[in-house]
Formats: sequence, structure tokens, C-alpha cells
Amino acid sequence: MGTIIRFFALVAFCTTAVAADDAVVVTTLRNPVAKSYRKMVEASKLFEEKRHLAPEAALRFKLLPREQDVTMQGIRLKVEAESGAIPLKVSPDQTFALEVDRRALKENAQVVPNRKAGTMTWRADVRTPGLPPDTRRLGDLRLECEVGMKAGLISKYPRGFWDWLDALLPEGPAYCHRAQPNYLFFAERPLFSVTLVDGARREVLSVDRLYSGATKDPDWKKHLRHCDCAALLDRAYFMPLGDASWSDETRVELEYMDGPT
Amino acid sequence: MKAAAAAFALLGACAFLQPPPKPADTPLGPGEIRSARAGESALAVGKSTKADVRAALGEATVVDFASGYEVWVYRERAQEKEPAPKAELVLLFTPSGILTRTRVR
Repeated sequence: MGTIIRFFALVAFCTTAVAADDAVVVTTLRNPVAKSYRKMVEASKLFEEKRHLAPEAALRFKLLPREQDVTMQGIRLKVEAESGAIPLKVSPDQTFALEVDRRALKENAQVVPNRKAGTMTWRADVRTPGLPPDTRRLGDLRLECEVGMKAGLISKYPRGFWDWLDALLPEGPAYCHRAQPNYLFFAERPLFSVTLVDGARREVLSVDRLYSGATKDPDWKKHLRHCDCAALLDRAYFMPLGDASWSDETRVELEYMDGPT
Repeated sequence: MKAAAAAFALLGACAFLQPPPKPADTPLGPGEIRSARAGESALAVGKSTKADVRAALGEATVVDFASGYEVWVYRERAQEKEPAPKAELVLLFTPSGILTRTRVR
């Protein structure tokens, strides 16, 4: 009887302790979204090698939601190695920088957030400072693609899912040199239109290059759950990265659904 | 009897030799439109409903988002041997079903 009372007392104590602090910190997850630290460091080296694409930009990595209701605030990120964990600072815009740690490289560390697999996706984030609002630069996006592919940031998809993804995954950074690669970029808000402007040349992208190509795929809803764009379909767009007729200085003007008409 | 058979054979041959209908003569399919510009000018941003647009232009290619917004797309039918891409009319509906933006490309 005494044992039973002590057991319930312990349960009550634990319940009170948890309730006293609502901000429960999850330090370990059974199935977290993890990426190879080594690959991300190699991608950072590639960024340095290809700096001519975006000479004034810095490299960061960005976490993005893959599910509609995933909370993106308060993400804790660490480089997890055998000998210990190195915390990474995540900015309020969900970007972070990576530093090289030889021990973590040697131990084949993983970059691990406190979120489960399938709830988030990752991208490289390369931004030349001083651009007008709602504008990206094509050279920045070219470099984002190469770094993203090198780092293995694109999530794995079931075999047979959308032909273009089957082709994309094994190819690495070279995939970004195709004229019309299907590497997904995500805008800050839902998109209505994307226009390329290079000097006097101006071209509005076909709607087929927005929304992950849903307008040309009658079965897009069936495929959506496999795409890392599932929660960001209205923000997703492709770029003609390998089309050399567009210079790196090309401005990518983003017109949002909620923008001025 | 022989004359009737010959007449039917002649009709069959005529049908066989008839050139296929030109694209402009055949009815428009879902998401097809004769003129993107004319289609756009038939609509009123801030007023037209989905039902209005469907009545004016027919069924569209629709992408509906979790936010409740919908993008509807109509494309001009490509003319024979036309190298240029088909013009497209893109419409945006608010979650309440009112046309809020349009563009022609």
C-alpha cells in the first residue's frame, strides 16, 4: 500500500513540475529532421568557390515548414557528434550560419533540429544586400541551387514521384545548370506572378513555373504530400537557372497575392 | 441496289478525303480560351465571382490552396504549327470567391 502511495505521489510531483514550465524543451526526438554536417560544410566550400555568382552575398541555411501547422518559432538546432553537441543559433527568420568544426567533421556529425522528420525542409539562403523589396537576384538563386544540391537539402521522395524529381536527386549541383531545372525556390509570401528583368529585357514566367508546376499536372493533389513544397505550394517557383541568356544580375521581381493591384 | 451502294461508297470516300476540322472550328476544351485579352476584359476585378467567370469562359485549370485562395488558368488554343507559346490568362480568387487579380502572359 505504501508503495502505491509513493508511486502516485511521484506521478503528482512530476505532473506539477511539468505544468510549472509550459516551455518544455524537447532535447531528443526519435525521428528528427537531420542533415549531414559534412555535406553542408562541403556545400559551404562550394559557395566560396562559386562566389562570382553572388560576390556580395553571405551564405546562410534556412528552415521551412513542410506541414501546414508546424510551429517554426523556437526551433533549437545543434550539430550532434559522438563527443558532444554544438548548438547553432537560429534567427527569427529561421536562418542559420554553419561553422566548421574539425571534430564534428571527423565524427560524421548530423545537423539536428528539435522537430520530427517530415515536418520541415531546408534550403540554402544567398542574398545580395541592398536589393529593392520583393526582389531576388538570379545569381543568388543560381548559387542557392548549387549549394542546396551539394548539401543534399532536398528531401527524398518515393521512387516514381514526378519524373523531374527522379532526375534531380542523383545529379547534384550540375542539375542547376539545366536551362529549366525544377529546383524549387520559396518566396516570403504567396505568389501571383514572377517577372525576370535584365536591362531592357523583361519576361513574365509562365504560371507553369509557379506552384511547383501544378497547372500542368492533373494529379498534382495526389503528388503534393510527397513534395517538400506541401505547405508552401503557393510560394513555390522555378527559375531558368541554366539559361545563360539571363545574366547573374537579372532581377527576379516577385508579385504577391496580397500585393497592390 | 448497285446505285445505292455506289452512292454510299462515294460518301464514304468524301468523308475520308475531308480535311480535319481547323482548331478554331472545334469546341473549346476545359481551360481553353479563344483570346486571353478578350477573356480578361470580360471580367471585373473586385466583382466577378467564380460562377460569373465559369459562365463567361467555361471551366478552368484550377489550383486551390490551403489558404482558400484559388488560381484559375485559361490558355489560348495553339494555332497549327505555331511556334510561340500559348497566351495564358491567370485569375486569382480570394477565399470568399471574388476575382481579385488578373494577368495575361
